[in-house]
Amino acid sequence: MAATFDQNDDSVVVIVGSGAGGGTMANELAQKGIKSVVLEAGKTLSLEDIENDEWAMFLKISWLDKRYSGGTWHGHINHPNLPAWIVKGLGGSTVHWAGVSLRYQPHEFKMKTTTGGVPGANVLDWPISYDELKPYYDKAELKMGTTGDVTGMPHLPWSSDFKVLAEGARRIGYSKLISGPMSINSVERDGRPACQQIGFCMQGCKIGAKWSTLYTELPRAVDTGNCEIRTNCMVLQIEHDKSGKVTGVVYADKDGKQQRQKARAVLVAGNSIESPRLLLNSASSKFPDGLANSSGQVGRNYMSHMTGGVYAVMPGKVFQNRGTQVAGIVRDESHHDDKRGFVGGYTLEKLTLGLGFLSAFMVPGPTGWGHKLTSALEKYDQTSGVWICGEDLPQEINNIELHKTEKDQYGLPVPIVNKTDHPNDTNMRNHAYAQMGKIYDSLGAIEVWNLPAYPASHNMGTNRMSEKAKDGVVNKWGQTHDIKNLFVSDGSQFTTSASCNPTLTIVALAIRQAEYVADQMKKGAI
Amino acid sequence: MLHDLTMIAARPSAFATPTRRQLLGTTAFVALTAGLLTTTMSRFAVAAATFDDAQKMMLLRVARDIYPHETLLDNAPYQAVVDAILTEADKDEKVAKMMSDGLTDLDKRADAVYKSKYVDVKNPLEREGLLRQIELTDWFQKVRGGLLFGLYNNKALYPKFGYDGSSWEHGGWINDPSFGKVEWL
Ligand SMILES: Cc1cc2nc3c(=O)[nH]c(=O)nc-3n(C[C@H](O)[C@H](O)[C@H](O)COP(=O)(O)OP(=O)(O)OC[C@H]3O[C@@H](n4cnc5c(N)ncnc54)[C@H](O)[C@@H]3O)c2cc1C
Ligand code: SF4
Repeated sequence: MAATFDQNDDSVVVIVGSGAGGGTMANELAQKGIKSVVLEAGKTLSLEDIENDEWAMFLKISWLDKRYSGGTWHGHINHPNLPAWIVKGLGGSTVHWAGVSLRYQPHEFKMKTTTGGVPGANVLDWPISYDELKPYYDKAELKMGTTGDVTGMPHLPWSSDFKVLAEGARRIGYSKLISGPMSINSVERDGRPACQQIGFCMQGCKIGAKWSTLYTELPRAVDTGNCEIRTNCMVLQIEHDKSGKVTGVVYADKDGKQQRQKARAVLVAGNSIESPRLLLNSASSKFPDGLANSSGQVGRNYMSHMTGGVYAVMPGKVFQNRGTQVAGIVRDESHHDDKRGFVGGYTLEKLTLGLGFLSAFMVPGPTGWGHKLTSALEKYDQTSGVWICGEDLPQEINNIELHKTEKDQYGLPVPIVNKTDHPNDTNMRNHAYAQMGKIYDSLGAIEVWNLPAYPASHNMGTNRMSEKAKDGVVNKWGQTHDIKNLFVSDGSQFTTSASCNPTLTIVALAIRQAEYVADQMKKGAI
Repeated sequence: MLHDLTMIAARPSAFATPTRRQLLGTTAFVALTAGLLTTTMSRFAVAAATFDDAQKMMLLRVARDIYPHETLLDNAPYQAVVDAILTEADKDEKVAKMMSDGLTDLDKRADAVYKSKYVDVKNPLEREGLLRQIELTDWFQKVRGGLLFGLYNNKALYPKFGYDGSSWEHGGWINDPSFGKVEWL
């Protein structure tokens, strides 16, 4: 039975956002009998809303509130108002996500130790180790239905497109070629069907074979009677009392009217642009620099992975759209070896783009037109491509800044998302371009196209975890160093970005955080 | 084999410094406005009063030169985008002026280099070169944005490119004989 809670009920936990972090927290707490109110800025969505149409889905569910791209990455020219691709809707970006579920490698929690530090970057070790997180990775894989040993679910069948990539990779001596781990059912499991290779995973999986909080965590949380979800509710500010403890949130409801929900604790999971923005917008006379910001690190160290794409026209048919969008990955470059000219590593992920996106992103922005582009597009069914996902270093200059004068529809300062590559990113990207060039050459490719980064789909680091309060925003439980009953529950906690897509780690951290929150509540500590 | 590492960012042309307004002709904005544009456009040539036949022809030529598919596509999908812009120009003086000034300027540039009108420049690569000079202008981006949707987000044209589009209605590709097959490796 769906619960409804009184706005003055200060025994509830308020969760901001219903995506990977927020949706998981809601269900984990609900299963433990802890009452929560989830406030989600976006609208209610269901499988009915999902179409196999790239731009239609983009327009239907993306976060399109005013934002600026800053810094020197090409997007500040080519995607001036779309720094990131994030969902504003129930389920958050787990509606759009592709399902790749990689665990961080042990050394990726210790990048300061591993590298000895990198000039110009703000590299730090996580305050937790792989061994501490391992049991929670197991739990996350069981929850999400990740193919592989823990669930016992076989990886997905190889599509023709992945066979092409894998053969090229094999020819240049690579061997770590695998069609998982993916949080997509390869067999019927947990009340959800097996993948039918529809090929529009990133537009939302029409049959629910792919994990999304939209149809797993959220309805399960509501079913317990311990969780109320309010959609179209944008949290504007977190409030606190004289002692500095948070007391609740102010939000705009669907009619734009301001409402107040009291809370025993507040968990922030609005993704890595909105979460720090909310803390900064909650500045008060007691906390003039924003909540939980004694370190000055709120909004800083923004990471979106070192990314780019490589697409090639093959001598024969590939049918890239006939199968899972990320049908397989190549992991031969994901280790750390600074002899390659950079620290950290990268993963190569086969990625289907439909005609709509390929035409827009092959050469993004106003210069993307002309005969060279169109002759490649005419060979769409011969085109194969990858997305590069590499470790991106934290830098203080990469941050979420509030616009000095411009306000959004809620009256909040518009965010500017500043992103400038570190030389390490550039070296790594060029290495990946060169390796992909070799792979495609080995297959007799007719043309190879290097694509710059897309608007960021992975957003991390802006409320980072640190051992010491002066280095970051939250402790190893995601609890803010400054305020005991204020938590960060999404990817903004990440200390470093690794060569792995973030969601599995977000979910593992959330499961672990839920245990801690329950324990602290029981002890009366919060 | 070409590995073009230079296709990273827009290179501002020597002729136009991009203003923020011009740059709104990019992804997010194009997605929002052009999406609307293509849904409301007429399928037939309109009697746009503001433009003479030569200008209309020239606009169609420009459209075909932006995304050339000389043998793959006939005029119809280009014409549809051009018509939508002409219709808008009929209702909005600012759009009309922007478009006609743009065409005039383009003809001037063609004349400066080739002593010819734009449409009479025979070599398509030379026409592309002329368009590169003005690619960051508002009017050019308006045409480009409309085309990006009118050509590549147009379900009727998907098959021409070998793109299948929506597949959930017929159960995805899992049971299709082509799934997982590569004939040429
Ligand atoms: C196309 C695409 C493909 C991806 N593929 C993968 C993949 O294969 N593997 C992987 O690991 N990751 C992938 N990701 C990334 C993944 O989706 C995100 O890492 C993950 O969803 C982030 O979780 P989150 O909880 O931080 O935020 P989200 O899931 O984005 O959820 C945040 C929610 O908070 C809401 N919100 C924000 N601010 C407020 C506010 N003030 N008040 C109320 N609500 C608010 C938003 O509307 C949103 O619903 C992909 C992302 C995209 C876009
Ligand atoms: S390929 Fe599989 S996971 Fe992706 S949309 Fe289709 S059924 Fe869903």
